[in-house]
Amino acid sequence: MSAPNCLRCLVRPTAGIPISAPLAAPIALAHAHARAAPFSTTAANARPRKETEKKTGSKDHSRGGKKLQLGKFKKDHIASKGRSPLPGERKAYRKRITLSNDNAIPVPWLTDLGPEALASAENTARVLALPEEVQDQLRAGEAFKPTQCWGMFRKPAVLVRKETVDLANRMQDAADKKQMLRLVVTGDKVAGKSMMLLQAMAHAHLNNWIVIHLPEAQELTTACTEYAPIPGTDPVQYMQPVYVLKLIQAIKRANEKVLAKTYTAQAHPELPQNIPPNTPLLKLANVAKEADGAWPVFQALWSELTAHNAARPPILFSLDGLAHAMKPSDYRSPAFDLIHSHDLALLKLFTDALGGAVKFPAGGAVLAATSRSNAPRVPSMELALAQREAEERVRQKVEGAEVPQKDPFFRGYDERVEAVLRSVQVLRVGGVDKLEARALMEYWAASGMLRATVDERAVTEKWTLAGSGVLGEMERATLLTMRV
Amino acid sequence: MASPANILRLCLRPSRRLPSLRAAALQQSALRRPLSTTQWRAAAAEDGAKSKEAEDEADQAFSNPGQFLTNFLRDEKITDEERQLAKRMLADWHNVPPHMKKEFDKLNDEITEESAYLRRPMLAKRDSFWNTEESDPDLITDEVGEDDFEEDDIMAMGHAKLEEHREFREYARLAVWEMPLLSKLAKPFQPPTEQEVLRFRYTTYMGEFHPADRKVVVEFCPRDIPGLTEAQQLKLKKLAGARYNPEKDIVKMSSERFEHQAQNKRYLGDLVDKMIATAKDPTDMFEDVPLDTRHHTFKPKIKFPKEWYLTEERKKELEAQRKQALLLDEGKRTEGLMIDGVQTIQKALLTAKVEEPVVLTRVRSTRGRR
Repeated sequence: MSAPNCLRCLVRPTAGIPISAPLAAPIALAHAHARAAPFSTTAANARPRKETEKKTGSKDHSRGGKKLQLGKFKKDHIASKGRSPLPGERKAYRKRITLSNDNAIPVPWLTDLGPEALASAENTARVLALPEEVQDQLRAGEAFKPTQCWGMFRKPAVLVRKETVDLANRMQDAADKKQMLRLVVTGDKVAGKSMMLLQAMAHAHLNNWIVIHLPEAQELTTACTEYAPIPGTDPVQYMQPVYVLKLIQAIKRANEKVLAKTYTAQAHPELPQNIPPNTPLLKLANVAKEADGAWPVFQALWSELTAHNAARPPILFSLDGLAHAMKPSDYRSPAFDLIHSHDLALLKLFTDALGGAVKFPAGGAVLAATSRSNAPRVPSMELALAQREAEERVRQKVEGAEVPQKDPFFRGYDERVEAVLRSVQVLRVGGVDKLEARALMEYWAASGMLRATVDERAVTEKWTLAGSGVLGEMERATLLTMRV
Repeated sequence: MASPANILRLCLRPSRRLPSLRAAALQQSALRRPLSTTQWRAAAAEDGAKSKEAEDEADQAFSNPGQFLTNFLRDEKITDEERQLAKRMLADWHNVPPHMKKEFDKLNDEITEESAYLRRPMLAKRDSFWNTEESDPDLITDEVGEDDFEEDDIMAMGHAKLEEHREFREYARLAVWEMPLLSKLAKPFQPPTEQEVLRFRYTTYMGEFHPADRKVVVEFCPRDIPGLTEAQQLKLKKLAGARYNPEKDIVKMSSERFEHQAQNKRYLGDLVDKMIATAKDPTDMFEDVPLDTRHHTFKPKIKFPKEWYLTEERKKELEAQRKQALLLDEGKRTEGLMIDGVQTIQKALLTAKVEEPVVLTRVRSTRGRR
């Protein structure tokens, strides 16, 4: 009777053991363990691993005695790292804005800014505090920057400079005549260009203007926010709904009071919510709840703000980091061509206003500030600004003033940029003079941030170290050093 | 009168051009500068035509005066006197007996053959290793049998050394005795007149052959050229292209295209004439083309600012400013408005309210302060 045995051979090739032989108990046990791997080529009488481990209690492939340990000084062996920051947490920490420091000494003579304070020349070379309300408005408009030293003092205060008074007066003049001030603030690195914008915004808020501020042009042009073509535009324009929603909310928070007192002039049937005429603009701004419908709402808001047949407050429209808005953006059209920044609808509104194509009904100002640390090279813009400055000098008959001309053999110029900057005013922000530097240093010392007597010697020293009073450099030389 | 000397001179005139010599020399120059960094450029079309014409003329080899004279008479530009003279000479030539003519031809051939060696360019051997077999003109001996000592004389190297020494002494004698005499020939410097607007620069290597000795450089200022309007001057500058220096307002051109300095100078002179003629041509004034200065880097000349000079006035001004600043300081000090950071901090620390430690009664409230 060999047939069943042969069949079994076919089925189970491991049957080296004669089936008729009596099975020893340990082998049967081993079989029970090896059930998981029925086709193992390992001999069936191999020693089962786990049991031996349990018996000896030692590690696999290990021997006794001294062992070489590699990497025993690595960090993770020494200390645990703790919780790693959540996504976005590092950035939030980097970008946080602290506006007060409870440890700083309150400055007794510090007074709050009044509506006329920034425009009066008596306040030149004085440090004045921003009122609480304006602080909130400016914070909503993202006027404060993380690189500025707000977090060192008890409350945010600004130095009134000659340029500030000049700018505030120009704004006031324009608003009085119902005209538009179109101006570009430029100057060296850390000279206070963004601070000049902040002061202009503070002045506007104090005088019940409507302030629309684009805090960084690069947020709009470096392809980091969503975009979509606007149907029915030729040449095609692009909206940035997420950014616009954020902007509407910022406008709403910053200008709540003024918007509540300004009423719509026409109906807006295209909006999902019914907005009849004579509705406060605040309500119109409240319509934008989601990014999807944000752009039509913004358009409606813009058309209301620029409606000439209704009572409107003056408007300040400002932008920081102008160079990013004056070049082709990083966005691509469906044909994979780069989209020019001026084809992005929001920036187009700004550039039109800066170029003089849009008139605000009650006048106002369109301000732009250049940046020196984060700025792509835009030859057209640089040339245009230099030309405007030179033209001003020629008008004042300064000796040797000459308007720079285009290089005829350079191809990198951009006509759209030139068209926008053809008739703007340019305000150059340079270093402060010693009187202003002294006022600032006295404020620092009175806040307990500068451990020195503020006399002429100290002021001159820091003023000179800062390259003839460049404010950022003065801060670096005085506030941000570890020498106390 | 057809003297034999005159005939000989006329006969030699065509052959003096030595067409093969010129061609060889051109070839030679190309070979001698194998490592030139200058790009090989073809001549402009017109120049090419001109040189071809010249070559055609030179290619006509005349074996005897008769041929030359007939060819000479064909030229329409010669004066009547020359024509008559040539006719007479041609008649004389026809009167010369045939065996003399034959002898003349033979002599001519012999001269050409004998002088061929002189005209032949020195070619580097193609397969030589680093031109080892090339003759070296800088060696003082000819290296043939120089190590053979025949016990009757010093060796070749010694003779060569003596020869070299003699040569040095000869030049030393020249320098001492004859060079000072050159000062007699010195002419006082005459500044160029208004008519002499071109300034040429030549290079000489004191009689030695050098590939750069043919180079001629011309400089001129477009403003100096008489009879040019502003627009024509501008056009001239545009024509000059990268040869125009906008900072110095000078056009600088050079030529080393031809074998001889004189030829290069002539070429440059003609070129300047042509440029001026083109600049005066009103058909196209290049008004749509801006003057290109991309080839030139303008270096800003940094000067010490006038305002920084410490003049007496400035010193007084600074003194006054300092005095005023000190007065301001003094005023603040007397009024007690001078701010001292350290004192401020100390005062603030003294007046700061120290919170009373709160007695904690309940265990739960340990976390909050109040």
